[in-house]
Amino acid sequence: MWKEYLKIAIKNLRTRQLRSWLTIFGIVIGVFLIMSLLSLSQGLKSTVLQQLKAVGTDIVMIMPGNISDIMTTMMGGVELTEEDLNVIRKTPGVEVVIPNVYKGEVVKYQEQSKLAILAGMDFKNALSVYTEDLGMKIEEGRWPTPEKREVIVGSLVSTDIFPGLKINTQTTIKGKQFEIVGILKSMGSKQDDSMIAMDLEIYRSITGERKGAPQAIAKIALGYSVDQVSKKIKANLEEQAKRRAGQQGESSYSVLTSDAMSGIVGSIMGIIQVVVFVFGGIAVAVGGIGIMNTMYTSVRERTKEIGILKAVGAKNSTIVLIFLMESGIIGLVGGLGGMIPGLGLARLIQAVGQVHPVFYIEASITPGIVLFGLLFSFGVGCLSGFFPARSASKLKPVEALRYE
Amino acid sequence: MPAPIIRLENVWKVYQLGKIELPVLKGISLDIAPGAFVVILGPSGSGKSTMLNMVGCLDLPTKGKVFLDNQDISKMSEDELAQARGKKIGFIFQQFNLLQNLSALENVMIPMVFQGKSEKERQDRAKSLLISIGLGDRITHRPSELSGGEQQRIAIARSLSNNPEIIVADEPTGNLDSTTGKNIMEILINLHKNEGKTIIVVTHDPAIAGYSNQIVHIKDGQLVANHFAREKVLWSNNK
Repeated sequence: MWKEYLKIAIKNLRTRQLRSWLTIFGIVIGVFLIMSLLSLSQGLKSTVLQQLKAVGTDIVMIMPGNISDIMTTMMGGVELTEEDLNVIRKTPGVEVVIPNVYKGEVVKYQEQSKLAILAGMDFKNALSVYTEDLGMKIEEGRWPTPEKREVIVGSLVSTDIFPGLKINTQTTIKGKQFEIVGILKSMGSKQDDSMIAMDLEIYRSITGERKGAPQAIAKIALGYSVDQVSKKIKANLEEQAKRRAGQQGESSYSVLTSDAMSGIVGSIMGIIQVVVFVFGGIAVAVGGIGIMNTMYTSVRERTKEIGILKAVGAKNSTIVLIFLMESGIIGLVGGLGGMIPGLGLARLIQAVGQVHPVFYIEASITPGIVLFGLLFSFGVGCLSGFFPARSASKLKPVEALRYE
Repeated sequence: MPAPIIRLENVWKVYQLGKIELPVLKGISLDIAPGAFVVILGPSGSGKSTMLNMVGCLDLPTKGKVFLDNQDISKMSEDELAQARGKKIGFIFQQFNLLQNLSALENVMIPMVFQGKSEKERQDRAKSLLISIGLGDRITHRPSELSGGEQQRIAIARSLSNNPEIIVADEPTGNLDSTTGKNIMEILINLHKNEGKTIIVVTHDPAIAGYSNQIVHIKDGQLVANHFAREKVLWSNNK
């Protein structure tokens, strides 16, 4: 029976082709929006979370200011002072503290000069933290020797910034010669992969940034509770700040464990996804209203036909089913039509992001997203077809037959 | 006389037009025996189509009762009624009322879909019906590609698809020229004679009345005469 009803439904749609396609197009737009944005935001979320996962669980990040107004802190240029770093170092349970320093600088390699991210790394005290806890791995060459003018570069430096860059060659930074001794494996983030890293002390001397850091990373020693030590760091920092500033009011610090960071990123991404979904959902709802409109028009036009079907033995439920199938097909075809270009756009954005080092974004196209998109659009189709279908089924056969 | 296949018992149909009540049928009682050929005659506006809707179980009376096979149709649900119509009654309309976007074959198959017949059964039955009324070469045509007489013959084939006991025809020749109309009436008469179908025809054309063995006159919503052909002969002899 279903097959027969489906045949009737498809025939009906085909006799009103232009209108059917226009209605489908309304759904296509909505699903296109949802699919492209959803797959990109999902991809963004998993990329960021994956990067965070590479960071060991015994690593905490310390930055000045409250995490809730992180933008203020970054814009205001508030940094950790050398005193702050010392306070962290002295906190029991802290194994090593690495100031996280970086700066955009013009770097000259052979005849080319380009802007790159220059970073200072503490190879002497903390090499194992970089390799084991922060997931940095050598692709080619070796790590720089502490206190020597040697640099190691991120994977994108040798491919995108200075294509053809080789190890054991020279580069000029701030008028000083450095030897490139190694290339890192990709860490999955544009920023990390674009950096040129050198010994912390040399970095400080050539940039003139002698003290402090925007953020610092601390490794918690084995046998200590990460949570307790990070609380202690925060308390010590705030106490020290109070002592130093006196009446100037409190200054606050954020100490983030990797779990906390994942949580924050996860919730921010969650909000983005909800927003994306709401906007896309509105677009689909508009498409759904289009379906409803088309179906109501169709019920009016086909009043007589409905009368005939009822006269020859169609039950009310049969009429409902035929109309629901029509609106469901509109929804499903619209969903399919929106999904293909939507996911295509997401893939395109991903491809563009990989070529141009502006941002690194991955399109997550899972069977779940595809299935969701199809079911969602089919559901919207059925839902918007329900009321027209019901009004069709409630027509009295005699009155419907008399309708011209 | 065997038990009536359709029985109207003091049937009233009153339409509400704003505040005015318009009675179209005023207490009609009628028995239709199985195998009868009944012609309902009356001028336009007399209520004959409304009465046919009652007979065909397309509408429910405002007052009074309609029995189909001894079942009170007002006690049946809409779905039961639809099911009963599809199974026991075949409809032929003045306007043919074929589905325009389906082929001749599909139109004939439709009532069988609602009775849950298999695809093969539907195909075979519809084809043989179309062949039997001489439209074997038209099965893939759409109604719009066929003449009025051909369309009405498809409608007849459709009305027969579930092999119903009753055929209800509302002005079946009203939209046809007299020759074609005669052909259609001949098909109906053959169905009556050869297959023993109960046939109920509404018309305002007295010529058609000559085909029947029971003539019902209706005027202003009331039966003015219900006579059997045989009685008519008797009656006229007495005169």
